[in-house]
Amino acid sequence: MTAVTTTEAPARTRPRRPLTPHGVTWTLLRVHRSALWFWILYVAVIAAALLWLYGPGAHAAMDELVRSRCRDGVIPELGCDAPGPAGARWDAILSLAGSMIALAPVLIATWAGGSLIGRTLEDGTAHLAWTQSVSPTRWLAAQLAVPAVLITAGMLPLTLLHRMTWAAHPELRHDSWNWSDSQIYNANGILATVYALLGLAFGVLVGMVARRSMTGLGVSLAATGFGVREFPSLRPYLWPAETRKITGDFSGSLGMPVGEGSYTSTGARLPDVLCGGRASCVARHGVVGEYRDYHPAAHFWPLQLVETGLVLTVAAAATAAAFWLLRRRTA
Amino acid sequence: MSDTAMEAAGLGKRFGRRKGWALRECAFRLPAGRVCAVVGPNGAGKSTLLAHAAGLLRPTEGTLTVFGTTPGAARERMAYVAQDKPLHAHLTVEDTLRLGRELNPRRWDAAVAGRVVADGALDPDAKIRDLSGGQRTRVALALALGKRPELLLLDEPMADLDPLARHELMGTLMADAADNGTTVVMSSHVVAELEGCCDHVLLLGAGQVRLAGPLDDLLAAHTLVSGPAAALDAHTVVESRTTGRQTTALIRAGGRLAGTWQSATPTLEELVLAHLRSPEAPPLHLDADDATDEDADTSVEAAV
Repeated sequence: MTAVTTTEAPARTRPRRPLTPHGVTWTLLRVHRSALWFWILYVAVIAAALLWLYGPGAHAAMDELVRSRCRDGVIPELGCDAPGPAGARWDAILSLAGSMIALAPVLIATWAGGSLIGRTLEDGTAHLAWTQSVSPTRWLAAQLAVPAVLITAGMLPLTLLHRMTWAAHPELRHDSWNWSDSQIYNANGILATVYALLGLAFGVLVGMVARRSMTGLGVSLAATGFGVREFPSLRPYLWPAETRKITGDFSGSLGMPVGEGSYTSTGARLPDVLCGGRASCVARHGVVGEYRDYHPAAHFWPLQLVETGLVLTVAAAATAAAFWLLRRRTA
Repeated sequence: MSDTAMEAAGLGKRFGRRKGWALRECAFRLPAGRVCAVVGPNGAGKSTLLAHAAGLLRPTEGTLTVFGTTPGAARERMAYVAQDKPLHAHLTVEDTLRLGRELNPRRWDAAVAGRVVADGALDPDAKIRDLSGGQRTRVALALALGKRPELLLLDEPMADLDPLARHELMGTLMADAADNGTTVVMSSHVVAELEGCCDHVLLLGAGQVRLAGPLDDLLAAHTLVSGPAAALDAHTVVESRTTGRQTTALIRAGGRLAGTWQSATPTLEELVLAHLRSPEAPPLHLDADDATDEDADTSVEAAV
């Protein structure tokens, strides 16, 4: 029987151009065409915002800064603390672009859990695919691989643009933007992409478990929201911190904070900074000064890489669980 | 080439531990080239059985093989139309057929699929969500037939069709199956729609096989008798009803019938209804699932 099938086959297969999507990929792109357009639009809007921040928006804000003469620092003026309209706009757009990048993992998870997997399992269109010549395993692999490629292709250029914009205009950032702020930190490194991929993996797993679009949507939203919020709290501990000790008070920021407190003449550490100002306490413990554990900007890449490894491990575990569930259910 | 299209041994399926068995200890053998009706009341396990055959479910116990291999390995050789005819609602008819071609690159016959759709005068640019139930069924069948399956699994295919469309589509389906020697397994709880097109029967009741075998053999093995109330001890009585002094019964004859009985061969519908009304009647397997093919042939001849 198989022999008969293969002899008939050549007449039916047409030559294909290698780059045109076909098979499961074509099906996925066709079925989720509106989601694809939405993603392209989403990335384009962020890219346009970042380019504006880099070029015209920054020029306007810089002109304003020059005109205000705050830049020279000669006349200390209270008004210089607040940016002018152009500076405020630059600030707001940077915040908006960063928020959109930060929101991407949650949006992706919602879509993956609700539409990509949950709905197709609920309305039987997944089963439609599995009863063509595509095994459920290959189907799931495509549901993960194609979006993963598109997510990476969208997020990595945004990261590069964000880095470029961030590096170009330090003067416009004031004190309100620190490299270690979560939104900036993710968007300036590979973590923006990595968290987006985590959103995909969570969404797919939740969709597989829930098998319902609304449940899939809700639970993936919650799970990814939790992940994106809680993983960064581990961030300071992913790489050995540096410590700085001084005998007085610290002023200003030292990068990513890890911990702070007082140290005594024996070198022991106390949690309160200079005993909260109580002289009796200072005397009793022999407090000499204040210490801070922190990550300098040089720790950016080691920290990013360790966190990437952790998040990708979690994403891989979610993916493995999704495949395991699928294999257990289907023949 | 395998002579057996589908074979089950000890097949059982339970959805979750607290729920009961949807299928239990099912055993049957379906030779290739047959048109098999899977009949039974709602909830008998018809859809569960077909979903197993399509490789969509994994048995809790026992096995089900298709063309001598697992349903997953035979995926390319069969087509399946689920009861609710799942299709992507926002795709056009044309894109739905394109999906068939993309997902079955080695088997797809665009001409066959196109003809089934054209016969229904469907607009290729119409969206699936705008189609009527009958038109959706037609597209689902086009998708299934375009795959040129050797085994066609149809779960309640005609349930949402008006009688005319049902007649037309059944005609298309049967002509195609006859031309290609396709094995068809079709479930329905409307027995009348299967009579005249099937030559093999699988009757399910409460998740178990009640009757299995070639239609003619099953009909020949049963006799519909009527006459003055009298003992039918020598025979297996499937169902018996007495009104006044008159008894009507469906029996499996275990010897010569007494002369007082008038006998007739039952129709498929009478056979099915009698078994459905009498769940305690012993099951009957005439598909010789334990025997080799040669033995099966001789036993069929002997039975006829």
